[in-house]
Amino acid sequence: MKKEIINEIVVSQVKQLNDTFPEEQQFEIHDNTVLFGYGSKIDSLSLVSIIVDLEMLFSTEYNQEISLTDDRAMAREKSPFTNINTLVDYIYELINE
Amino acid sequence: MYKDKVVLITGSSRGVGLALTNYFLKHDAIVIGISKGNPNIEHQKYHHYSIDIADSASIVNCFSTQIAKKFKQLDIVINNAAVLTSQFSMIMPIKNAIDMVNVNLLGVFFVSREAAKLMRNKEPGRIINIGSMAVSLEPVGDSIYAATKAGINTLANIMAKEFASYNVTCNTLSISAIETDMLKQHSEVARVKIKEIIKKLPIPRQAVMDDVFNVIDFFASDRSSYITAQTIYLGGIN
Repeated sequence: MKKEIINEIVVSQVKQLNDTFPEEQQFEIHDNTVLFGYGSKIDSLSLVSIIVDLEMLFSTEYNQEISLTDDRAMAREKSPFTNINTLVDYIYELINE
Repeated sequence: MYKDKVVLITGSSRGVGLALTNYFLKHDAIVIGISKGNPNIEHQKYHHYSIDIADSASIVNCFSTQIAKKFKQLDIVINNAAVLTSQFSMIMPIKNAIDMVNVNLLGVFFVSREAAKLMRNKEPGRIINIGSMAVSLEPVGDSIYAATKAGINTLANIMAKEFASYNVTCNTLSISAIETDMLKQHSEVARVKIKEIIKKLPIPRQAVMDDVFNVIDFFASDRSSYITAQTIYLGGIN
């Protein structure tokens, strides 16, 4: 699977979440949108939702079983959930192993 | 009452789980049964998965590769599967102790978390754990069993907080002694002990399945959206 497609999927999921927020709480979505840590506009439960949605989407729609929160993800110096770019890179890596 | 609701019941092949499975089928639900053994029910609306609840990887895999794809949603989950070895702590076999933790506690955790993923943002979701009077009565010989059952009360209470925004409630029905396969496997000495315990309950009789159905209906009701993180004991135990 190409990285561009993964990017579209991730952006789409973040956009879906963003659309559920009141207008004044919505944020700009781009490759460097922060998902986790300082500067993130989404709370931890919303990030969990995105992670679960992505795992289920890759499983049901693309037959790709990925676990985004295993030990490897947690052990990384830079969290895969830092921003959209890092998340896309991590998913790309998992899918192509 | 449960027409077209998708209900998942663990330990569906015998005892309370089998009775609950028949009850939901009788009320037009679609029932997904999970148990280690083969199905004991043949019904158009019954779907069985033979999985060992102690095998967390198999549970997660079953949800992602089978249940999520086939059913797309879940309305009610009843974590009923449990194993019990009643024995003094100092001579409790290691394997039996580990099995109780894996089935009674970790099994509930993994089924609940995978189920919650399918329940999010759809119809109201209901997770109901089957607990035990052993948590309150703390009978000799049931140290691990009672601890695992106390554990699922806590699991439900914390998951209730985590899942509340998804419209998913988590509650526990702690049943008193009821004539099931699990109870039958007790020795005669243990059965006498249970009879003595029952005699001392505020309502001194064994539970019957209708007592269980009554509370399950209450927790599962669409009207119970404001009822979460609760444990109900049968028979006046608290």
